[in-house]
Amino acid sequence: MKVPAAGAVMSGQSFATLSGRQGRIGELLGAGGQGEVYHVVVDGLPFALKWYHQHYTEIDTGLRLRLERGVRRGAPTTDFLWPLDLVEVPGNSSFGYIMPLRKSDFRGIRDLISPPPHRLELTLASRIILCQQLAHSFFELHAAGFCYQDINFGNIFVNPDTARILICDNDNVNIDGADASIYGTRKFMAPEVVRRESLPNSRTDLFSMAVLFFYSIFGWHPLDGRRENDISVLNPELEMSLYGTNPIFLFDPDTDENGPVDGVHDWIVARWQSLPHTLRQLFIRSFTVGLHDPSLRVLETEWMNILNLIPGSIHICHDCSFEHVISIELKKPTAPSECLCCGEAPEYSPILLLGSRIIVLNIGQEIRAEHLDSADDATTIMAKVESHPTRANLIGLRNLTNAPWRVSLPEGTSHIVPSGQAVRIAPGTTIEFGKSIGTISDVNMLEPTS
Amino acid sequence: MQGDRIASLNYAMRTALPELRNVAADNPEVDVRMSVLRFSSTAEWQIEAPEPVENIQWTDLKAEGETHMGDALRLLAARLTPEAMPGRQLPPVLVLASDGYPTDDFESGFDAFFAADLTNSAIRLAIAIGSDADNDILGRFIRHPDLKPLKANNATDLVKYIKWATTAPVKAASSPTNSPNPLQEFAQEIDEDQPVTSDIIW
Ligand SMILES: Nc1ncnc2c1ncn2[C@@H]1O[C@H](COP(=O)(O)OP(=O)(O)OP(=O)(O)O)[C@@H](O)[C@H]1O
Ligand SMILES: [Zn+2]
Repeated sequence: MKVPAAGAVMSGQSFATLSGRQGRIGELLGAGGQGEVYHVVVDGLPFALKWYHQHYTEIDTGLRLRLERGVRRGAPTTDFLWPLDLVEVPGNSSFGYIMPLRKSDFRGIRDLISPPPHRLELTLASRIILCQQLAHSFFELHAAGFCYQDINFGNIFVNPDTARILICDNDNVNIDGADASIYGTRKFMAPEVVRRESLPNSRTDLFSMAVLFFYSIFGWHPLDGRRENDISVLNPELEMSLYGTNPIFLFDPDTDENGPVDGVHDWIVARWQSLPHTLRQLFIRSFTVGLHDPSLRVLETEWMNILNLIPGSIHICHDCSFEHVISIELKKPTAPSECLCCGEAPEYSPILLLGSRIIVLNIGQEIRAEHLDSADDATTIMAKVESHPTRANLIGLRNLTNAPWRVSLPEGTSHIVPSGQAVRIAPGTTIEFGKSIGTISDVNMLEPTS
Repeated sequence: MQGDRIASLNYAMRTALPELRNVAADNPEVDVRMSVLRFSSTAEWQIEAPEPVENIQWTDLKAEGETHMGDALRLLAARLTPEAMPGRQLPPVLVLASDGYPTDDFESGFDAFFAADLTNSAIRLAIAIGSDADNDILGRFIRHPDLKPLKANNATDLVKYIKWATTAPVKAASSPTNSPNPLQEFAQEIDEDQPVTSDIIW
């Protein structure tokens, strides 16, 4: 006969939450080191209940206080599966908390590095959008005076179709600067935490977040280069050196000591070269000076400023599907003159330049209010790239706002594009969309440097 | 202030700094400098002589019980005089970040502050820390019908106001008032009668 662990609860059991809601325990969703997670129905609605092993509640003495504070303060954003209410069961000395239920269309982003066929394949745009949302959510958490303490792969889930994310395991969240209950997860901890010189705080969170971003975009760890490749058996001393006492970035511009190895890291090098130098600069800061000086780590707002520009500016190689970001170099929209992956000569579509933002004008591409500095809701569609109804070789940008645009054409004439009409996309055209002015341009091709 | 509030204040200031540095870098004609005054059970200058923003690193404040805002306002008032700020300057930008419950004599502090020579020409902004911050006190500091205290999570909006404050006078000085509006000029070129072929606009 199986004896239930001390403090365990059973499916079918009824309970009342601390704020007085009525619930019933349903099926077991999964179990981990700290406890079990059940499907529950509370006041007629489905939620998840995390129920702790009694021995865990005895070790982690700050747990209850953290959860109560979390419930009181509320979720920083809707991306967090945040504690909503605490649960106790009569005659049971353990406790648990209610959180939103994660639907089955979400997948753990650890699968970004799983071997095929389980690997989670995401487009570069989705990966960037994933990072943007993480930056936004962790910013709200930090700005409220909290830190997460254990940012890692295992706690982040993504819906592959929409790129929406969920942040789980919020029971370690604590006031920034308070004594932490954990150190964190291997390969995500800041070097000073690996060396046990510091407990997690908002600045170590920033380091873990930068690792998460690098992993999400490259499917690879930023400190794994030649040195890790040369190790046949990783032991604790070597691990301490790689991630704690002597960490070196794979793309450290000042040393090749841990640089990429030909034939091993080629794809990662190609992706690195395909990214705008503004983004590379943030990674370089994170994993050079930011390894040693926590105050120099990249803040969420800095990531967001750069990440926001990327999703609309991606060119996909017609031959091998490798994704290249068109970026502004020397004031011109620029991209490599040969595919960084297959070497074929690319055919770049014209782009629309809006300040420092580049939008590739492929058929179907939409331009939203957020791109135009418009007062409308950020996601309102203001324009769309379409082909000409009868002349297949022409593409145009349709005005989906209710105000006319003024355009000046490369031939020097100016015209009005009334609401609902489209204007031919030709380099040299300038379009005045209310407050913002956009210029249609060709992409300047630059020979890739290694 | 304590616990999560002080952490929130520190995070807001850390986040605002890089944005401020960007403003300074984008406007090399303006020398943006910053002083920092801290108040808890006492008020004292943390950075007294104005430092270029690119040199400033935020040192985290520690939680303490008291909020001597009155002392802080008096200390600030002493700096808002033509003698203390000599030479040609853009209006100073004053940012008050607090959870808003002064524990000292803040009334006399406000009196001294608003009596100082440069207070009225200053741009006064505030950041309310914590969800239950006392916006009335911060509102008295701002004393502007349209400006509300910012929250810690939009502290970077400070930069928008500061940008406006630091660039507006410069731009106004460099563009003559009689120059034609560039958009208007553009509008006059438009020839509505000119037929547009359907392969340019459709
Ligand atoms: N809100 C939720 N909705 C649906 N399933 C969940 C939810 N939270 C956790 N789970 C699932 O329940 C299981 C245990 O979750 P959890 O990560 O909380 O355990 P843990 O004790 O923290 O594990 P670990 O040993 O990794 O720390 C996992 O399979 C997880 O995917
Ligand atoms: Zn290719």
